[in-house]
Amino acid sequence: MTGQYLAFFIFALMAITGGVFMINLSRVIHMVLSIGLSFFGVAGLFIMLQAEFLAFVQVLIYAGAITIMMAMGTMMTQGGDEGEKPKRRLHNVLSFLSAVLVGAFLLYGIYTTSWPTEPTDLGANNIKEIGVTLFSNFVIPFELASILLLVALVGAIVLAKRDGEKD
Amino acid sequence: MDYIYSNSYTVITIFLLLGIILPLATVWGVGLILRPKNPAPEKLTTYESGLEPTGDAMVQFNVRYYIFALLFVVFDVETVFLYPWAVAFDELGLFSLIEMSIFIFMLVVGLVYAWKKKVLRWE
Repeated sequence: MTGQYLAFFIFALMAITGGVFMINLSRVIHMVLSIGLSFFGVAGLFIMLQAEFLAFVQVLIYAGAITIMMAMGTMMTQGGDEGEKPKRRLHNVLSFLSAVLVGAFLLYGIYTTSWPTEPTDLGANNIKEIGVTLFSNFVIPFELASILLLVALVGAIVLAKRDGEKD
Repeated sequence: MDYIYSNSYTVITIFLLLGIILPLATVWGVGLILRPKNPAPEKLTTYESGLEPTGDAMVQFNVRYYIFALLFVVFDVETVFLYPWAVAFDELGLFSLIEMSIFIFMLVVGLVYAWKKKVLRWE
């Protein structure tokens, strides 16, 4: 299927260019936007892997909430500290070497794993299946998630409120 | 069953492409032919009838904006749970409604706490 290859190419390009720009750009807000592009590319890849729910969560949480959080966090900072990057040659060589090593390790893992190739039917109804499993077998973890969210909300308010009253 | 998935995403791709192409074609395609064009220096200012912006946009904003972002993230995570619940509701029945009510009640407690702490008020 050429359409799938084309879509994979576009999404992979989005993910990779987003990551590369995120590291190389100097202004923080541009970094946030490029990591957003990368998140959208990963969401497209999830859709191509028939993981609709993951793609939805990727767009909603990562491209939506996390990017907004980072943009808001950038607004809190003072700004104006983007200067010349310090030139560190040894640092660059070491980071290149570690990147190559991690990549080689991942490739080795991918090539030595035997992937199950029998056709499965996970794509068509996967959100429904997730819903049925979550709300019948995993009710207690689901309710605990609400407690966790409540604690996070209250903790965030306590922290931010105390900071806000100083000024 | 696999073809259902790929067919539905083909339709979504067509809609996505239409959504990208139509505004571009309106602004730079048909619009170029239809709209009158006589730019004046007054028209080309950033705000035609407002104040001229001065200084850098990268200033430190009030921390209160951040609390709204935090609240948004919490209720965004809630939506992630609402979505499979809504899709599978036909098979789950009444008990899942009670489960989801407890879940939402917990988050409403957080919202009421934020309200009582006057986080939502702008002073």
